[in-house]
Amino acid sequence: MNAMHFTRRAALAAALAVALPVAVAQTPSGQPIRIGSTLALTGPLAATAQIHKIVGDIYVEQLNKRGGLLGRPVEWIVKDDQSKPDLARTLYEQLITADKVDLLMGPYATGAILSAMGVAQRYDKVLVHHTFGIPSLAKYDMQFPAWSLGSEPATTMPNTLFDALAAGPKPPKTVAVVTSKFPSVQFMSAGAREVLKKRGLTEVLFLEWDFGNRDFGPIANRIKDAKPDFVWVGAIGLDGNLLLDAMKKIDYVPPQHFYMYPAPGPLVSLPEAKNALAATIFEEQPPFTSNPGAAEFVKVYRERATKAGLADPSVETQAAASYTAWQILEAAVTATKSLDDKAIAAWLKANRVDTIQGKLRFNGPSNYGDDLMRIKQVQNGHWVVVWPKEVTSGGAKLQAN
Amino acid sequence: MPGFTLPSATLLAQSVLSGIFVGALYALMGLGLSLSWGLLRVINLAHFAFAFLAAYVCLQLATHGVDPLLTLLGIVPAFFVLGALLHWLMTRFRMTTFNSLLLTFGLMGIVEAVIQTIWTADFRKLESAYANQKFRLGALFVPVPELITLVLAVSLALAIWAVLRFTDLGRALRAAAEDAPIAAAFGVDHKRNGLLLAGTCAALVAIAGVCIALTATLAPSQMYAWIGVVFAAVMLGGLGSAIGPLVAGMLIGVSEAVTMAVTAPSWAPIVSFTLLIVVLVFRPGKAA
Amino acid sequence: MSKATLAILVVAAAMALLPLAGLPAFYDALLYLMLHWIVLATSWNILSGTTGYFSFGHGAFFGAGLYTTSTLLARFEWPFLWTLPVAAAVAALLGTALGAVVFRVRSVRGELFALLTLAVTFVVGTIVGNTPIDGGQGVSLTSVPVPHLGPTQSSTFYLLALAAATLTLVVARAIFFSRFGAGLLAIHDDEDAAEVMGVPTYRYKLVALAISCALAGVAGGIHALFLSYVTVGEVFTITVPLTVVLMSVLGGTRHWAGPAVGAIAITGLLYSFTAADHAVAGKAAIGAILIAAILFMPAGILPRLQRAWRSVVRRGAKTSAGVAPSLAAAAPPPRASPATSAGDVVLRVSGLHKRFKGVRALAGVAVDVRRGEILGLLGPNGSGKSTFINVVSGHYTASAGEIVFEGRALAGTPAHRIAAGGIARTYQIPRPFAHMTVLDNVALAAMFGGGVATPRDARAAALQWLDFTGLAAKADALPDELNLHQRKFLELARALASRPRLVLLDEVLCGLTPSEIDDAVALIRRIRDQGSTIVFVEHVMRAVMALTDRVVVFNHGELLAEGNATEVMQRPEVMTAYLGKAHAPLPTAAPPSAPSEERAHA
Repeated sequence: MNAMHFTRRAALAAALAVALPVAVAQTPSGQPIRIGSTLALTGPLAATAQIHKIVGDIYVEQLNKRGGLLGRPVEWIVKDDQSKPDLARTLYEQLITADKVDLLMGPYATGAILSAMGVAQRYDKVLVHHTFGIPSLAKYDMQFPAWSLGSEPATTMPNTLFDALAAGPKPPKTVAVVTSKFPSVQFMSAGAREVLKKRGLTEVLFLEWDFGNRDFGPIANRIKDAKPDFVWVGAIGLDGNLLLDAMKKIDYVPPQHFYMYPAPGPLVSLPEAKNALAATIFEEQPPFTSNPGAAEFVKVYRERATKAGLADPSVETQAAASYTAWQILEAAVTATKSLDDKAIAAWLKANRVDTIQGKLRFNGPSNYGDDLMRIKQVQNGHWVVVWPKEVTSGGAKLQAN
Repeated sequence: MPGFTLPSATLLAQSVLSGIFVGALYALMGLGLSLSWGLLRVINLAHFAFAFLAAYVCLQLATHGVDPLLTLLGIVPAFFVLGALLHWLMTRFRMTTFNSLLLTFGLMGIVEAVIQTIWTADFRKLESAYANQKFRLGALFVPVPELITLVLAVSLALAIWAVLRFTDLGRALRAAAEDAPIAAAFGVDHKRNGLLLAGTCAALVAIAGVCIALTATLAPSQMYAWIGVVFAAVMLGGLGSAIGPLVAGMLIGVSEAVTMAVTAPSWAPIVSFTLLIVVLVFRPGKAA
Repeated sequence: MSKATLAILVVAAAMALLPLAGLPAFYDALLYLMLHWIVLATSWNILSGTTGYFSFGHGAFFGAGLYTTSTLLARFEWPFLWTLPVAAAVAALLGTALGAVVFRVRSVRGELFALLTLAVTFVVGTIVGNTPIDGGQGVSLTSVPVPHLGPTQSSTFYLLALAAATLTLVVARAIFFSRFGAGLLAIHDDEDAAEVMGVPTYRYKLVALAISCALAGVAGGIHALFLSYVTVGEVFTITVPLTVVLMSVLGGTRHWAGPAVGAIAITGLLYSFTAADHAVAGKAAIGAILIAAILFMPAGILPRLQRAWRSVVRRGAKTSAGVAPSLAAAAPPPRASPATSAGDVVLRVSGLHKRFKGVRALAGVAVDVRRGEILGLLGPNGSGKSTFINVVSGHYTASAGEIVFEGRALAGTPAHRIAAGGIARTYQIPRPFAHMTVLDNVALAAMFGGGVATPRDARAAALQWLDFTGLAAKADALPDELNLHQRKFLELARALASRPRLVLLDEVLCGLTPSEIDDAVALIRRIRDQGSTIVFVEHVMRAVMALTDRVVVFNHGELLAEGNATEVMQRPEVMTAYLGKAHAPLPTAAPPSAPSEERAHA
């Protein structure tokens, strides 16, 4: 009896001893740690880059509330690369050599990330980046992806998708592949064509259009004529919407359809996008929201995004990858207790990081880890994750038109 | 080389129709540009900015429940004034043609910044009652927003053509474009006419903007995406022509659409622009 | 070597040492971008600013160079520096091929040329994007070794761009101050007149285009490796051509260094507003600054700076005395001709036809012009006199017939060769080159028709001709500061500067006052006395009687009469032609009065 009493009191004391320092918010002190990056705050890529700006602001603010990095306050120096890769390159060089930032964060979009990677490589800096679309081009040793595409997305992603379709109510037999020629989309669509052939499906149509194409009428018509069971749309940005608009105009609804990288907000709000499929690493629903930091982040992001006037204030791939990137950087710095890029890189390659996407590893080809791409679907005006079963909630299932 | 597929008649016809619609939009965008370039000797890049500004204003009003077409009642006069104001500024400083290019480019940057500040860089789509309506013409679909654009484009082009051809104002404008001092000696008040015309051009492009809002998704940086093809339509149709941009726009739109219907869509620009080059070299002065 | 060229080289040498100064490496990258745009804008101006053929296709040539380099690097693993001359060559080839076709078509000027070049950009871009050259996925050059020209990688690009910019500026300056450049500037003002003055317009435009494209190609090649990942969507758009136009217009297109100034200004502007907090406002600010700049500096930044400089270093005011043609100076005689003596036929025209879509302007004209004579070309309005001059001088090509000048057949010869071969003409409505001074107008003719090699010598010769025609005091004026009389004499001076053996004058006296006519007549006589043969179209009968040895009368495109002036004018058919049938004289003995002076038609 006495022993238990003692243990309980000791346990309480011990708990208090631990809880107290943590409960009191530590104000970071000392020289700020400066993290530098660029974002496409103006220009054609601005629509998505503004998401990364909001996420970065949220993260740095929360980070400083938690005591900063290594006890020091964190300052984020972000510049506008105007959607131009050559400007991104120059600005990263400025950040490193003139502004002398301690750490780098990646920019938005594949072109700018490649430019930044080149600069990082020349100065031996670690580069954690959010959404880089072409893993095979990521040849720098100290770059780390926050977007869990896996190192062979052109094969793994279509396979995941076709698995989902095969397990669904109407497994397709004929497929139409229509795609933009935008670099990060084109190779994925090429991979999809390989995969569907291997799985014994028939390709009834293959079309490529120029990025910047405005008239999707003929393309919609050709899809309708081909009568596919399933349409793979290698869309990026607005393409998906424009194609759906065009299909609506000719009264055509594809039985099942998938969009590669749609601009998230606009697609989900389109009535004709019913049952459209897409890929994602994170959605605002369990089980994702039970990952570390996820629930809180989703709430704060929604507030900030609404305040900033964004049409769609929900967290999905872009915002999630952005937040993950910061988590990765913080974890590595905290674990190695240093700002030494080589040490950070070495640690990341050897360890796993807890993020809102789950536990990530970086020891695969090109520092890529697991493929965490899931399939989601527009159901009743919301994105609902439908595959694989482990990550669905509430009995969500893939539906067909 | 891409393969060719023989399209069904319906596919071909629907594609041609699609090309006509997109061409009508090029024409509507280009009409004001052509008139101001040909008759006022001003290359007005700000037209693209005005179009998108009008589109966004229409969008905003529509979200408050105003019918998109009704917004024209307010938008047209407002942009008329804006266009006249801009022209007044340019004549006051005696801008040459290429100086006007620079000035209006600067204006584009300002308008883009304003749009991005108010509406953010997000993609925005106008959901109107018209968006879902369409007619059937046999096996062909004719969506209402596109039809509205086509009707507006054709009727405005014809109206302007008639004014230029048959009215005193039109004659005065054409005379002043050819030789301003002599025209002035004959009593042509080019100042007043210029303001009228500039205002009209801006109003025309504002109408184009409303059509864009009805048919396309908006983003601030999209305004630059139209410059290339609209310039092409304007130059091919002949500067200062009212029907020219219409014919040229349709030509470009249809040739691209047909290409997309029979072969790889990514080859579409090559067909339309090679056609342009061939026409220019072997039958120059083609203008409608 | 001129002072300016020396200055460029010195500055370039100094700038080459910048990477060693220990500044943060990013300055190299920033300056690289500035130099890169200097090359693009200046090279664009070499064709478009000088000749006025505004090209919207600079992106195509830049892209051609860029993709040449990236293909050679990625696919054939060439060393980087060797790809640059190839990039230049490919771009130049593309431009030359385009120009060879397009410049032949007379009506493709102005905006049609702009459209054509824009279309070429999209065509080339689509080809590159749909073939294995790029194919859509872009070309990655990250594993290509960058040569070690400087302490950092960025400095390598900086030095390469510095070299390219230096070359471009030196070339641009050389062109502007050369005979070639004078010809290009003349094309800008009046291409047809330039051709008739002896400028080989087709060849010159082609050469200017080739040089412009080659330089753009080099810039493209360097930029490929700078980007290290190239995609079609970034390159073959209207952005590059629009930006170079803006830079050149802002800096000033009529000066060789104008575009460079504009490039520095705009790059600097774009770069100053990269702080994230003001990114969007920055865009508006840039727009506002551009607007303000062009409103207050309409000719461009550089001319404005030059004006400010000049007003600081002001010379004495120019005298603007009224010009009374002082016909004192003697002028150089026309160039030696094949051995002929006075009285030989110097120009023989037979069976000359000229049709304009159904209008027969000339219907089988046969005329002989003898050395040293003054031949008058008369006839009512619309009879084909001006057309005759236009055809002989090469302004139009004959529909049929033969023209033999000093034993050589002229039919089909381009106008500039005719001008260099000894024939000169004036225009009835003077067509001086509006943006060139009076002196330069005449110097141009001296260089091209008259075969003088350098602009400096040509100006010296021109001054003599201006003396001869009494315009020396107006040498530095622009043509629109002259009155009609002076402009006519400018036409004459220009015609004479090419040292012609045959001078074709088209109604040179129309619009002049009687005393001015007397001066002109005296001048014409002196011209003949020096050894030129003169054919002149005229309505002023007084002058015709006074000057001509012979006259021919045209009517409805045919030769009506020929012979001594007084005698021909009295023939009934000639009077009918001029005055109409109702005025045909009745056969009387009294000599009819000379037909009244007609006002020439405009």
